[in-house]
Amino acid sequence: MADLQDELHALPEACELPDTAQTAPFAPRPTPGDPLERARALLAAHPVIDGHSGLPWALRDLPWYDLQLGESGVDTDVLRLREGQVGALLWSLHLPERLAGERAVGATLEQLDLVRSVIAAHPEGLRLARSAGQVIDARNCGRVAVVLGPAGAAALDDSLGILRVLHSLGLRVLTLAGASWAGEAGLTRFGEEVVREMNRLGVLADLSGASDATIGRALALSRTPVLCTRSAARSLRAHPDNLSDALLAELGAAKGLCLVPSSPERTGPRVQDVADHVDHVRAIAGPECVGLSGAHDRGAGPDAASGYPQLIAELLARGWPETDVALLTWGNMQRVLRSADFAARAARERRKPSTVRITELDAPDD
Amino acid sequence: MTEPASLDAARELLREFPVVDGHNDLPWALREQVRYDLDARDVAQDQHAHLHTDIPRLRAGGVGAQYWSVYVRADLPDAVPATLEQIDCVTRLIARHPRDLHPARTAADMEAARAQGRIASLMGAEGGHSIANSLGVLRGLYGLGVRYMTLTHNDNVDWADSATDEPRAGGLTAFGRAVVREMNREGMLVDLSHVAATTMHDALDASGAPVIFSHSSARAVCDHPRNIPDDVLERLPANGGMAMVTFVPKFVLQAAVDWTAAADDNMRAHGFHHLDTTPEAMKVHRAFEETRPRPLATVATVADHLDHMREVAGVDCLGIGGDYDGTAFTPEGLDDVSGYPRLIAELLDRGWSKADLAKLTWQNAVRVLGAAEDVARDLQATRAASHATIESLDG
Repeated sequence: MADLQDELHALPEACELPDTAQTAPFAPRPTPGDPLERARALLAAHPVIDGHSGLPWALRDLPWYDLQLGESGVDTDVLRLREGQVGALLWSLHLPERLAGERAVGATLEQLDLVRSVIAAHPEGLRLARSAGQVIDARNCGRVAVVLGPAGAAALDDSLGILRVLHSLGLRVLTLAGASWAGEAGLTRFGEEVVREMNRLGVLADLSGASDATIGRALALSRTPVLCTRSAARSLRAHPDNLSDALLAELGAAKGLCLVPSSPERTGPRVQDVADHVDHVRAIAGPECVGLSGAHDRGAGPDAASGYPQLIAELLARGWPETDVALLTWGNMQRVLRSADFAARAARERRKPSTVRITELDAPDD
Repeated sequence: MTEPASLDAARELLREFPVVDGHNDLPWALREQVRYDLDARDVAQDQHAHLHTDIPRLRAGGVGAQYWSVYVRADLPDAVPATLEQIDCVTRLIARHPRDLHPARTAADMEAARAQGRIASLMGAEGGHSIANSLGVLRGLYGLGVRYMTLTHNDNVDWADSATDEPRAGGLTAFGRAVVREMNREGMLVDLSHVAATTMHDALDASGAPVIFSHSSARAVCDHPRNIPDDVLERLPANGGMAMVTFVPKFVLQAAVDWTAAADDNMRAHGFHHLDTTPEAMKVHRAFEETRPRPLATVATVADHLDHMREVAGVDCLGIGGDYDGTAFTPEGLDDVSGYPRLIAELLDRGWSKADLAKLTWQNAVRVLGAAEDVARDLQATRAASHATIESLDG
């Protein structure tokens, strides 16, 4: 019970700006200084949780690197994360599509091993976080929290046991695409069981790159909010990972989270383009359902990890309230991680680990 | 016959120094029999109709720590995913029986389990195929709690020769030595059961930490390639490692070795693989067994091995690895995991001291794991994790 109480007190803090309460009687407060200065001040209190970094795969081929002192071989290093006021990162474990079956499982273990050694090699910059609380702990210690995921569905090799094993190694996000149970036709019965087991463990579903049918079913089925770790608005730019207005509205109704990347293909090359998408997603899905993701080191975005203050300045200039900016950068992702932790605790009381096999649920000709 | 008095004394001794068993294939049996449905084989209940192992019999046998094998077959594809499923099975098994099983990753965990009267549950991987030639996967298995890896199973791996396959590498390749060194660095014990004698010597040369034989007996007592030659046993004191005697009749009893060879020949003569267990093959096998009864190993057979191993390696290098649920047949008196007290009673009757038996059952195994942890701490301070590949080292 003590645990529950802590969480309840912590929630408003995560979703509201502490200083709104103080400034509310004096509103509207004049906003001195240029937007960039305001953006930096705001980010100091509410740093960015970046929803998608492809760093692990990029580092795989680098023979030597030092992220602490700056590394020109990749788009992310600790200096630029600090400059970009990034408080936490999701580290993608996605693999090239040619890897499947045993090779996908082995390569995922290798990715996790690499991430572990990268974090261990940068103890002053990075810290592994397995829960919402650990993300806050890391930030309080001045470290950038690293949350593991998303991994691709192929990493499971159609086994719920492997899902549990990867979760025990720290995996927190799984993309529901790239497996027979999460294809164009949507989730199969086994796919639904995967989502239920993810809920039980506290592994978030990532729907970027999933088919529309899978997105719809996962939204209906998941007991925890879902993520789209690198999706923008399809009505502004027709990239397959981007979400239609209808799906954005559904995502908003389910209190899921669309993390808008800074990616030339998905959002366009300029900061203003990214801001357009963030604006649009906020308008359709709601301010509680939009976040940011870098998509760095997966084909290089317009800005490196250091570009977030410019983006926030642009949003402030467009008249975003600071509370909404705080939700965008930190609060929304905190809420989703925390919901997953809660739902997992509740589900574990109710459900045992599932051992069902894909052949028991999905007919072979599916 | 064992005197009841020595059996009582054995039980008394095991209460203080319970058995650390080096190898038990319960996870594979659960996979094959019930596809990991732990409700269908509830080991809190008596399962003697299906398994050698359940918690009541582990308790009766005085077992205080068990290395659960996360073995997977080497001749099937997808060894890495299958190994992860085995690990998931053990993890769930431990979580399911918190009063009896205690998750253990260190020597200190083993002692804590003993102090609480629970069975320390560790994991061992059986065969280098489980890492698919990747040191990253090896470290992943360590992170999941695997505390030893047998370098090969019955078949060679790309970097090490098995005892029961055609020699190819002549022991360990350069990558094989890198695997051993990386295991030292992680604190994962190098297990030399199943490997060729050449591999045993190469691994002893390469390893900076104690090695183990998780389930092997003495070749001088029974000439079978799965057993340990004396010139390897002689090296154990300097290495600080241990040999855990196994009970499998077709490895420990010469008559059973000969009988098995004849039975295998008979199977091949009828056009079956010698390990074939299809109904037709089993019919041929049963017909053979009717004409020629299977020789029975006994408690004394295993004790003979331990007597010899103590002569050659010394009492500080001995342990027990029954291979329960990994073998079809067991010696008389050691029929399942409740049998260990009879082995201890036999050794008491043969004049083994209580201090020696405490080393055999408990102390040696705890010492060896602790020593591997110490070596790992030292190595991690001086050496980064290796990302060597088999292509870069073996060409």
